[in-house]
Amino acid sequence: MITDTKKVRNIGISAHIDSGKTTLTERILYYTQRIHAIHEIKGKDGVGATMDSMELEKERGITIASAATSCQWKGHEINIIDTPGHVDFTIEVERALRVLDGAVLVLCSVGGVQSQSITVDQQMKRYKVPSVAFINKCDRNGANPFRVIDQLEEKLAHNAIAMQIPIGLEADFSGVVDLIAMKAIYFDGENGETLRYEEIPARLVEEAEDRREQLIDAASMFSNDLTEAVLEETEISDELLYSAIRNGALTRKLTPVFMGSAYKNKGVQPLLDAITLLLPCPADITNEALDLDRDEVPVPLLCDDAKPVVALAFKLEDGQYGQLTYVRVYQGKLAKGDTIYNVRTGKKVKVGRLVRMHADQMEDIEWIPAGFIGALFGIDCASGDTFAARGINLTMTSMFIPEPVISLAISPNDHKSEINMTKALSRFTKEDPTFKAHVNQETGETIISGMGELHIEVYIERMKREYQSNVTTGMPQVAYRETITRKAEFDYIHKKQTGGAGQYGRVAGYLEPVDDEEFVFENQVKGGSIPSQFISACEKSFRNCIRKGPAMEYPVTGIRVVINDGASHSVDSSEMAFQAAARGAFLQGYAKASPVIREPIMKVVVETPTEYQGSVMGSLNQRRGMIVGSQDEGVQSVIEAHVPLAEMFGYSTTLRSLTQGKAQFTMEFSTYKEIPRGIAEELHKKANDKKRDVA
Amino acid sequence: MHNNDITLRTPLRFLESENQDILKEGGFGAILARAGVGKTAFLIQIALDYLLMNRNVLYISLNDPVEKVCLWYEEVYRNISKSWDKKQAKDQWDSLLPYRFIMTFKVEGFTIPILEERLNDLTEQGVFSPHVLVIDGYPFDEPDEKNLSNLKNLVKQRSLKAWFTVRTHRHKEPGPDGMPVSLLTVKDLFDVIIQLQPIGSETHVNILKGATQTEGVPELLLDPATLMVKNKS
Repeated sequence: MITDTKKVRNIGISAHIDSGKTTLTERILYYTQRIHAIHEIKGKDGVGATMDSMELEKERGITIASAATSCQWKGHEINIIDTPGHVDFTIEVERALRVLDGAVLVLCSVGGVQSQSITVDQQMKRYKVPSVAFINKCDRNGANPFRVIDQLEEKLAHNAIAMQIPIGLEADFSGVVDLIAMKAIYFDGENGETLRYEEIPARLVEEAEDRREQLIDAASMFSNDLTEAVLEETEISDELLYSAIRNGALTRKLTPVFMGSAYKNKGVQPLLDAITLLLPCPADITNEALDLDRDEVPVPLLCDDAKPVVALAFKLEDGQYGQLTYVRVYQGKLAKGDTIYNVRTGKKVKVGRLVRMHADQMEDIEWIPAGFIGALFGIDCASGDTFAARGINLTMTSMFIPEPVISLAISPNDHKSEINMTKALSRFTKEDPTFKAHVNQETGETIISGMGELHIEVYIERMKREYQSNVTTGMPQVAYRETITRKAEFDYIHKKQTGGAGQYGRVAGYLEPVDDEEFVFENQVKGGSIPSQFISACEKSFRNCIRKGPAMEYPVTGIRVVINDGASHSVDSSEMAFQAAARGAFLQGYAKASPVIREPIMKVVVETPTEYQGSVMGSLNQRRGMIVGSQDEGVQSVIEAHVPLAEMFGYSTTLRSLTQGKAQFTMEFSTYKEIPRGIAEELHKKANDKKRDVA
Repeated sequence: MHNNDITLRTPLRFLESENQDILKEGGFGAILARAGVGKTAFLIQIALDYLLMNRNVLYISLNDPVEKVCLWYEEVYRNISKSWDKKQAKDQWDSLLPYRFIMTFKVEGFTIPILEERLNDLTEQGVFSPHVLVIDGYPFDEPDEKNLSNLKNLVKQRSLKAWFTVRTHRHKEPGPDGMPVSLLTVKDLFDVIIQLQPIGSETHVNILKGATQTEGVPELLLDPATLMVKNKS
């Protein structure tokens, strides 16, 4: 097992659908001898490509959850972390990008830079992930890798530079010319496993020399030694050139471009060389954790086995032997038999079986060194949990989990689906803390909640695919909240003393708005005007009242209830009487406290080609959005706005049609804000209609 | 709490008389200082002053991303409003945000035609119609008089006013009238010029052109800790 951090590469392979990402991954695993046969994707042989670990992924050719697989190439360990291609899976995307140090951006030689390439590239940019590009499908009709390089510059603003030129194209594509070694490389053998180095074909010599000049020019910006060698016209060694290109790549100021055809088994091994030569090792990247003892201040972690361990559980999988937890160790080493702590729960965990995954196969290991990725067996935790040595209170992900902002009811179509739905929801809620599920006590419906329309759609789809659970879904509901805007007093007597056992209780005090808290109850009753045994009944009743606000039955938040007086009767007072009195007191005070409805406001970030900036801003404005600003980045613009969630349904379709599919947006919860009067009236009307329908 | 209560502690209220803007429509104002003295903080205070007067401010940064500009605003507002009731200050802040729009450009990508195009986008789509431009990071080291004149024309045509930050350099001697070298060729385009000058442990706010200090108000300084404008006590 390799333990030298410098020999590790944690990489992601990012691409849009159908650019051949799965085929490329499959070939990488084949050439690194992790698998011994090549399967076609969407499996004619029923096996499917090795990285396609989820059914949904197989069918659609998309990747939703991240899986990690490791392989070795020329003395290096390469961990490939599968990255989701869609920006809306916020938690998944964040975790996957958190874990990887570098990326291969796969582009189709025919389709070029498409809107989804823009999306994945923006993810990389956001997380400052260094990358190399691989232009795939050079064997296809219409292949033109240099047009794709131009697009990388024009559409993605990359400083892209060819590291190779193709030998032939389309049906004649037979290999590549390496512009550093200045050799032609051909891929022989049944599966292209034997590399044959030859002289550059005469017809390509001039072009190769020109392109090499361009490469040296671009690389010399990142190395004084190389600039000196160029100026003094001394010989430029391969090492010097690679080192300069690496400097450029690590700072994301240069994108080296490779080319080939994974399907035709050409160009993959030089890409593997590039991964080891040009992408960063864990020690090249500064990773930070948040110090929970100091208000989540970021602290750097050292990629050093001798330091106390800090590791992130970034992915959970249900296997036949129980839960498999993928971890990345950022600092220290994680060894079998170690005792570590789950920072979130504070629970002590004994490290049992440790493995390294190769897609569906696994290999037992004794420890995971700093910077490496592995998996733990038999550990109960949630995805995103940080494990650390005793006394270390650092977390890799913020402890702040936003509350879901959208929910919908689901009901299973049959008994089998019902059983599987329970299993699926239990798994998903553990994997993703922003996805929640509960049963509505009144209707008996199962309600699932999440951070956006697509977020919920994906889980419903996964339920069908992975758990064979077919469910019917209701309309999405925005999580509105009620709150009060001013202080109001209450003084309520609940009295029922006519016949039978009497009821008597008086509760007095006030309600007031409170920031940053959902509900605060304070007992300031003095002198026993409400006997102490009835105080908890009052609190319970107030808590019940806030579950369904009096105005529109939305939960009430941001409220402080203070009771400071009351009265009781020696015979007729009971818990039930005080519960009723508190309910009456709440309703009395609430009506006077200027209640309002609040709605979730989302921070929406649209990344669009600059020419569509105006129309995108117009579309956000129409949706009651407040545009914070726009960032002009040359060919692309980033627009940030705050928009009510209720207005964002179907926005992806609108945005697609406005920008010919060239813009993307991300959306995350920002805050709750009071809804405008007109909208409140509409909501009231809808609620009244609903009540009438029920009656 | 009225807007005016907060405005009292912001720069424009220290200069000239209340309710009268020192910069007229079509005018250019400049804040000069060396790097790190507090130009951006001062400019944000000016911007906030306009926001508090319910004027639409288009803040253009050629240095910082939108997020950082937002943080600047929040920090300066926190300092301005720290003595106010927390909830009222928050409500006031929420009411100011619709008057603010932030645009950021890379310095090399900022040209007058592009600005004009963006302004058209904003107004045609009914998104935002600025009254004031606040431009942070304009490259004054080699000012192009023609470009600035074009910008001034644009500002005039649209009945706007524009404030700029101008970075000065310790090693470059100022002109005879105290104007920094970078402004010498374009100073006539500016109607108001304010200099932030560190002397010892204090940063003085000197008016070099176009404005007078409000009568009876002591000399102005920047608080070195918060970079907020204050009277010399």
